Amino acid sequence: MATLTAADGVTVRSLADVSKDQVAAARAGNPDAFGSARRSMLVYGAWASAFLYLVFAFWYFDFARMFQPSENAQRLLAAMFRWQDMAEWQYGNIYRGIAETLAMAFLGTFLASIVALFVGFLAARNIVRFPVFRHGVRRILDVFRGVDQLVWALVFVRAVGLGPLAGVLAIFISDIGTLSKLYSEAIENIDRKQVEGVKATGAGPVRTIRFGILPQVFPVFLSQSLYFLESNTRSATILGIVGAGGIGMIIIERFRATLYDQVVFVVINVLILVAIIDWVSKKIRMKFIGEVGH
Amino acid sequence: MLEINGLSKHFTATKAVDDVSLSIPDGQMVGIIGRSGAGKSTLLRMLNRLADPTAGSIDFKGQNVASIKGSELLKWRSECAMIFQQFNLVGRLDVITNVLTGRMYHHGFASSMLKLYSPAERAFAIHALDRLTMAHTAMQRADTLSGGQQQRVAIARALVQEPKILLADEPIASLDPMNAKVVMDALRAINQEDKITVVCNLHTLDTARRYCDRVVGMAGGKVVFDGSADELTMDVAREIYGAELGDFTEEMTSTDLSALGKSAAATAVDGQKLAS
Amino acid sequence: MAVITDTTPLDGMGHRQDPVAVYEKHRQELARSKMGQTILMIALFLGLLIFSVVTSQFFPERLAQAGGRLFEYFGTIMPNLEWDKLFLGRDEQGRAIEGSLTFWYTDLDKYLALIWETILMAITATLLGTAGALALCFAGSRNLMSNSWIYFFTRRFMEICRGVPEILIALIFVFAFGIGPLAGILAVAIHSAGALGKLFAEVNENVSQRPIDGIRGVGGNWFEQMRYGVLPQVLPNFVSYGFLRFEVNVRASSIIGFVGAGGIGQELNRVISFYSDDRVLAVLILVVLTVTVIDLISERLRLYFIGKEQL
Repeated sequence: MATLTAADGVTVRSLADVSKDQVAAARAGNPDAFGSARRSMLVYGAWASAFLYLVFAFWYFDFARMFQPSENAQRLLAAMFRWQDMAEWQYGNIYRGIAETLAMAFLGTFLASIVALFVGFLAARNIVRFPVFRHGVRRILDVFRGVDQLVWALVFVRAVGLGPLAGVLAIFISDIGTLSKLYSEAIENIDRKQVEGVKATGAGPVRTIRFGILPQVFPVFLSQSLYFLESNTRSATILGIVGAGGIGMIIIERFRATLYDQVVFVVINVLILVAIIDWVSKKIRMKFIGEVGH
Repeated sequence: MLEINGLSKHFTATKAVDDVSLSIPDGQMVGIIGRSGAGKSTLLRMLNRLADPTAGSIDFKGQNVASIKGSELLKWRSECAMIFQQFNLVGRLDVITNVLTGRMYHHGFASSMLKLYSPAERAFAIHALDRLTMAHTAMQRADTLSGGQQQRVAIARALVQEPKILLADEPIASLDPMNAKVVMDALRAINQEDKITVVCNLHTLDTARRYCDRVVGMAGGKVVFDGSADELTMDVAREIYGAELGDFTEEMTSTDLSALGKSAAATAVDGQKLAS
Repeated sequence: MAVITDTTPLDGMGHRQDPVAVYEKHRQELARSKMGQTILMIALFLGLLIFSVVTSQFFPERLAQAGGRLFEYFGTIMPNLEWDKLFLGRDEQGRAIEGSLTFWYTDLDKYLALIWETILMAITATLLGTAGALALCFAGSRNLMSNSWIYFFTRRFMEICRGVPEILIALIFVFAFGIGPLAGILAVAIHSAGALGKLFAEVNENVSQRPIDGIRGVGGNWFEQMRYGVLPQVLPNFVSYGFLRFEVNVRASSIIGFVGAGGIGQELNRVISFYSDDRVLAVLILVVLTVTVIDLISERLRLYFIGKEQL
């Protein structure tokens, strides 16, 4: 029967029996196991620098202000939980604003999806063989995407005036950038065998796209557009802060009028709306991706 | 002395372990055999309290560990080491840290969160690895090791726990015959040299015969045999394994190379290595 | 020898039916059963579309008008640059020469200071947000938290944190703590904690249970199970998500100034709202450039850290 004996012939069965010599011997044999200087320097250095940075940031950005009881903060906090004069809250306005937000998000996403359907093909490596043209399209998309939606909204408010149209255009432009990129990536990831199958039947380029590629990418497109509808509903809420229509305008107006309880109410309503859209889009996704896919 | 009395584990529809009573004296090596689903695993997990018993008691040194909670439970788990079929090491951590987790119970919150183990503990861990001829892998990531090596690291982890009892749940079921022998030899050595009670789930008869003082056979959650390896007749084995076939032989349950009639040279070499 | 089984249905007389006729019958049945549903879906969709078009007054004549004004606006924000003067410095009186880059970027120092502030805001918010997410994610993972109340409330808390837009949180904090970057940092950090917390929890829910069992077996408490059993498995993913979040947070920090919460956004809002000149484009270009450069650096760091283990 084999025995379990350590190399030095002495068997240590309990921590209390570990002698100083044995510690030294183990350290000599496996220096790294006792924490190499370099590695512990690296680890502790990383932690220390993160900690020091935070200390610096707390000082630099004056985090102490958070803990000074401000009258505003107290009023705000109180209003969040104490809702007053609920009969006079002009619910009509609020729900019209929410409907407007939904309309902006829907129209912006829908139009952007249609444009992205074409632009996505133009930016896909396996469809357009001229790199110069493809890169040109991609750089324009980068600009659309690089500028924030809220900045686009501000620009469109300057151009077309206050109201939901500016919001729709802002969502439209920034989503063309993002959706086209996602669509083109989906197109680049398709299964080539299926495309070849369609080509082998003698189909031209347009028919190849229609029957070879579109059936593969449509579910991806649909689910991405639905996801964007949800995310745009969320962001359309704040476009109103710069005057681009929707519920944001009502939020900022009530906020300025110090009606914080109503702001809380509106925000809760928006959260519910987003949750509903999330649920509906999940259903639609399941229906289309589950059974059809054409 | 470990006294198990009327221990049961019921799930909604099935009785995984049904009214098991055993009394295991200190220093014994017990092999629990039975086919898959016989309740061996659940029994062992209840002993370590990874699973909660539905009924019954487990008495160890005057304490009923079946009902302890909180820090007492953690203390019991640290004293009752467990070896798993799939080794259950943390793959992305290095070997030495995996072994040191066996000391975890003795550390406070901060020192265990920051992995601050003392030099003596590290030396102890390396020594334990050395006993299993694994010291050279101390700084490797655990998931770079082979199955047999990982199981030896897991045994080293159990050793640094300074356990009173060692439980092994199918320790060799995922290993090739050569590594299985190395691991079983190590468990037997721990039992003999360190005088630690070992309770070991096995699904092969010959391994139990070769290594264990006592064999417990389980079927359908109940103990159907309890005695020395010699008392285990072919009829009893048939009952344990639920074999209706007449041509049931012990070798059918075997994973050992020698059972094939080929006492492989490799086994001998490996045995020597462990002994040297 | 393989035999192709004939599964064509037989008619009442035991004769084989015409396969084309069978197919057509099936197709028509299927189409009919789906027709009602399809019509309803299309009607709903068109209704929503018409409602949206009317609500946002997305009409051709308005669009044409808007298009004209848009081009006009873009014309006014273009910089007036002249080749021969492009790289000229300031003249003797210290004035920048019109048509030079110096003239276009007269306020460069101010912009750079604000961009620096924006980046610091993003770093601080990402660190705080990641710390918050780290604290929440284990309790918000189905497989790791056996107490369903703690799990439920952690989940809901994270949902609220990420559900409310950053700008809105910032608006509230500006009111509570005053104008300045503090409000922006807190807003972005809270949003990050919610968003990252959800992602982290999803990673946690896919870990292997075995190392956790191993740590449980040696007597580790819940925190030790998380630290040793889960964290090593998920850390590379966490780091990767943290860097991705940092990229998102740079964007967020650059616009959060719209409500007075610090960073370059404040200046961006000011120049777009009050001026129609080349300053608008000057700031915009800087912002887009910053975001792009940060994306590139962050991607490099992300790839570098994923290769490392055991931080």
